[in-house]
Amino acid sequence: MVDNPPKPGDLNASSRTSGNPFLRITGLNKSFGGVQALKDVDLEVYPGEVHGLIGSNGAGKSTLIKILSGDIQKDSGDIFLEGERLAIHRPQDAYRLGFSFIHQELNLIPKFSIIENLSLGFRKPTRFGLIDWKAVQRNAAQVVERVGLTHPLDTPVEELSVADQWLVSIAHALMREIRVISMDEPTASLSSEESERLFKVIHDLTTEGVAVLYVSHRLDEILSLCDGISVFKDGLCVLTTDRQHATKKSLVEAIVGGQVSDGDLTPLTDIDARPVVLETKGLSRGEKVVNVSLSLHRGEVLGLGGLVGSGRTELANLLFGIDRPDSGEILLEGRAFAPRSPSEAIKRGIGLVPEERRSQGLILKDSVDFNVSLTNLKSLRIRKYIFLLNRRLSAKITNAAIKRLQIKTPSIQCPVVNLSGGNQQKVVIGKWLSRELKVFILDEPSRGVDVGARAEIHAKIRELAAEGTGIIVISSDNEELPRVCDTVMVMSEGRVVGTLKGKEITKEAILYKSFEHPALERG
Amino acid sequence: MVQPGKRKGSKHGTLLAVSKFGTIIGLVIMFLAFSIAVPTIFPTFRNMVNIANQATLSAIISGGLTVALIIGEMDLSIANVASFSGVLVTGLMVQSGLPVWLSVVIVIAIAACIGIVNGLIITKLKVNSVVATLGTGSIVIGLNYAYAQGVPIASGLPEPFKQIAFGKFLGIPNNIAIMAAVLLVLWIFLNYTEWGIQLKATGGNASAARLSGIRVDRIKILGMSIASVCAAITGILLASLIGSGTSGAADGYLMPAFAAVFLGSATLRDGDFHIVGTLVGVFFIGIGFNGLAIFGVPTFVQYYFRGGILILAVGLSSVARVLAAK
Repeated sequence: MVDNPPKPGDLNASSRTSGNPFLRITGLNKSFGGVQALKDVDLEVYPGEVHGLIGSNGAGKSTLIKILSGDIQKDSGDIFLEGERLAIHRPQDAYRLGFSFIHQELNLIPKFSIIENLSLGFRKPTRFGLIDWKAVQRNAAQVVERVGLTHPLDTPVEELSVADQWLVSIAHALMREIRVISMDEPTASLSSEESERLFKVIHDLTTEGVAVLYVSHRLDEILSLCDGISVFKDGLCVLTTDRQHATKKSLVEAIVGGQVSDGDLTPLTDIDARPVVLETKGLSRGEKVVNVSLSLHRGEVLGLGGLVGSGRTELANLLFGIDRPDSGEILLEGRAFAPRSPSEAIKRGIGLVPEERRSQGLILKDSVDFNVSLTNLKSLRIRKYIFLLNRRLSAKITNAAIKRLQIKTPSIQCPVVNLSGGNQQKVVIGKWLSRELKVFILDEPSRGVDVGARAEIHAKIRELAAEGTGIIVISSDNEELPRVCDTVMVMSEGRVVGTLKGKEITKEAILYKSFEHPALERG
Repeated sequence: MVQPGKRKGSKHGTLLAVSKFGTIIGLVIMFLAFSIAVPTIFPTFRNMVNIANQATLSAIISGGLTVALIIGEMDLSIANVASFSGVLVTGLMVQSGLPVWLSVVIVIAIAACIGIVNGLIITKLKVNSVVATLGTGSIVIGLNYAYAQGVPIASGLPEPFKQIAFGKFLGIPNNIAIMAAVLLVLWIFLNYTEWGIQLKATGGNASAARLSGIRVDRIKILGMSIASVCAAITGILLASLIGSGTSGAADGYLMPAFAAVFLGSATLRDGDFHIVGTLVGVFFIGIGFNGLAIFGVPTFVQYYFRGGILILAVGLSSVARVLAAK
C-alpha cells in the first residue's frame, strides 16, 4: 500500500509497513539564493516508527526539519499527516499539529527547576490567582514517570547530566499530545549507558504511536534504533531503506556518493626523511583532546579528519596558544613549545585560519587592507623605533596577497563584508602569506566556499607546503582531505583513532574511521 | 555569489547619505538660524571665541571618549576624572608648592593610572565597562573630596598656570592650539600607528583580533587610559580657564561628550567612531547650547536639549550601522 513507486535504491520499503504512511512528504524543494538545499525529496514515516535521517553536514537534513517546524518555508512539495495535507507557515502551525522538535542545543532554562521547565509555555493551574505548584506537579507526574526521570522535580536542570536534560526536554514535549517528535543528535554528548536509557524512552514513545525523526551521525546507533532510514546527500534523498536491509557499508556509500574521486594529487613519498617541524607527545586537555601524539614534517600536509566535535579544533587551539594542555608536550623544531597566547604562537611561526571566518577570522566592517595588515603590524613600521605605519608597504603586501590568491575585490579599501564567502576566506589566508610560517593550521578552509574558490584554496595549500611550511588541515568534508593531504589522522572523541598515508587516504576510509568509538574499543 | 554590499537599495543609499551628512547640514542650518534670529549677539567675534573656548574642552574629553568607544567600551568616569584633575593640579601648586609643569605631569600620570585600573577591571575581572567606570567614577569623586574637602582652590594660583588657557601660541589662543594638538595626535595615532589599528581591530572583533596575535587585554587597557588622560587634560584646562580647582567643575561634560561622539559616529561614516566626526559633534552641541543660552531659554529647556540630543545621537549612530549592514 505504498502510494509512490519505490525508488531504485529503495530495496523493499513495504516490508516495514503495515498500512498507510503516517507522515508523508512528496516532491519537497527548497533553495537558498541559488543553492538547492532540497531537491524533490520524498519521505514516508509510518506510525510508531523511528525514522533515521543521516548525511554529511549540509546535506539537507536540517533544512527538512526546519520546514517541518515552520522555521523556513518550502518552495514546493506537499506534506501530509495521516493523509491530510498540511500548511505549515509558522512555528505555531507545527506546534498546533502536534509536532515537537528537540534541537541539539536544548531549549531549557538552566537555572529553572525541572518542574519550572516542564510547565514553561503552558497555562498553569492557579489557586487564589497564584500559581498552584502542587497541581502543576500532579499534572507533570505522569509525564515524568513516562520518561523515567528520577530526580526531585525542584532540581535546577543545570545540575542534571546532559542525558537527564534530554529526558526533561522529551518530557516537556510530552506535556501535550504530540504526533511527531524530531530529535537532533541526542547522543552527541552521552555515554553509551545513557544512550541506552534514551533509546528505551524513544522506544516507549513509538509504542504509543508517536513517530520519531532521529538525526544522527552515528551509524551503529541508527542501525540498531531506527526502523526506516533516509540518507541525504547534496539536497537529495539518495537512499531510503530500513533496518533489515541497511548495512554500515551501504549507508557510508550513500553518504559519500559511491564514486571514488582520486584527484590529481601525488602524495609525497619522502615524508619520513624530512625534518619534523612540529611534534606533540601525549597532548591532553579534558575530554576533548586525549593523549594525542603527532609529528608534522617540513612540507607535509597533515589532515585531521573526523566528525564535528571530535576534538580537532580543540587540538588546534592547543597548538596555537588559545588553550593550554593539561598534560603532554609540544615540540617546535625539536624545542619545547608552550604558547600561552596566540601572539606567542605567531611569534614562533605558527599561523591559524580559524573555523568561523566571520566571527573569528575577520573584522568585517574594515577593509581588505586593514584585515591583511593585522598580522604584520610590526613589520609595517616606517623605522624600527618610529611607530608610524608604512601605508604604502601595507598596500603592497595586500596587493601581493590579492594577486597570489586571486581575491576578487574592487579595491584594497573595500570592506570585507562586501566580499563573497570564498573571497573572504582568501583574505583570512592572505593575512598569513607575508609571514615566514613554520606551521600553518587551517580549520575548515573551504566551508561555505564555492567550488571554484575551493579548488584555488587547495592549490595554494599545496603550494605553501611545497615552499616548506608544515600544514595542518582540519576538515569535516571528507572529500577535501584526500585532495590535499599527504597524511590524514582521524580523530574520534578526542583521540586519534587511525592514521592514513598516501593512497590509503580515501573518503570512505576516513568515514569508516570517523565512526569508531575509541572508548568502547579500549573498554 | 550575491554580494550584500551591492544589493543596497537606493532607499538605503539616500537614508545613509542623509545620516552621513545630516549632522554637518544640521550644523550649518543651526548656525544660520541663530545668526538670523539674534544677529547682534550670536555671530559676533566675541561669541565665536566663547563657543570655541567651550568647544575646546569638550573636544578633548570627547576625543578620549572616542578611543574608549572604538575599543567597544563605555567610560562613565571621564567627567569625574576631569573634575578631580582640576582640583588636584591646583592643589599640588597652591598647597604643595610644586612647579606648574610638575603638577601637570603628576596629574596626567595619575589619570593614566585611573585608566589602567578601569582597563584592568574590565579585562581581568570581566566587569562590564558601564558598571566598572560607574564604580571607579564614584571612587574618583571620593578622592576629589578627600583631597580638597569640596572647597574650591582659587587663590594663589601661579600666573603661568593661568596662561595655559589664556595665553597665545603663534597668535592662536592656547586652548585652541592644545585642542588641535591633542586631536591631531589622536587622529594620527588611530590611523597611522600599529596601536591605532590594534584598537580598531579589538573593537571591531575582539576574537579575530586575538587570533591575529593582538593582545586584546593590553589594547583595551591602553584605550581606557587614553580616555582618562584626555579627561585630565580637559580638567586642567578648565581649572586654568575658570581660575580655580572646583570639585564638581567638569561633571557636566559627560553627557555632551557622549552625545558628541555618537553624533560624530553617524557623520561621514556608517556608525564608526572617529575623531573628525567627534569634532563635528562637539561643535554641533556647542553651538546648540550657546544659541539656546543666548535666546535665554529657561534651564529646563536646556536639559531637554541635552537629553534629546543624546538619544538622537545614539539613535542616528545605530541606524547608520544597521543601514550599512543591510
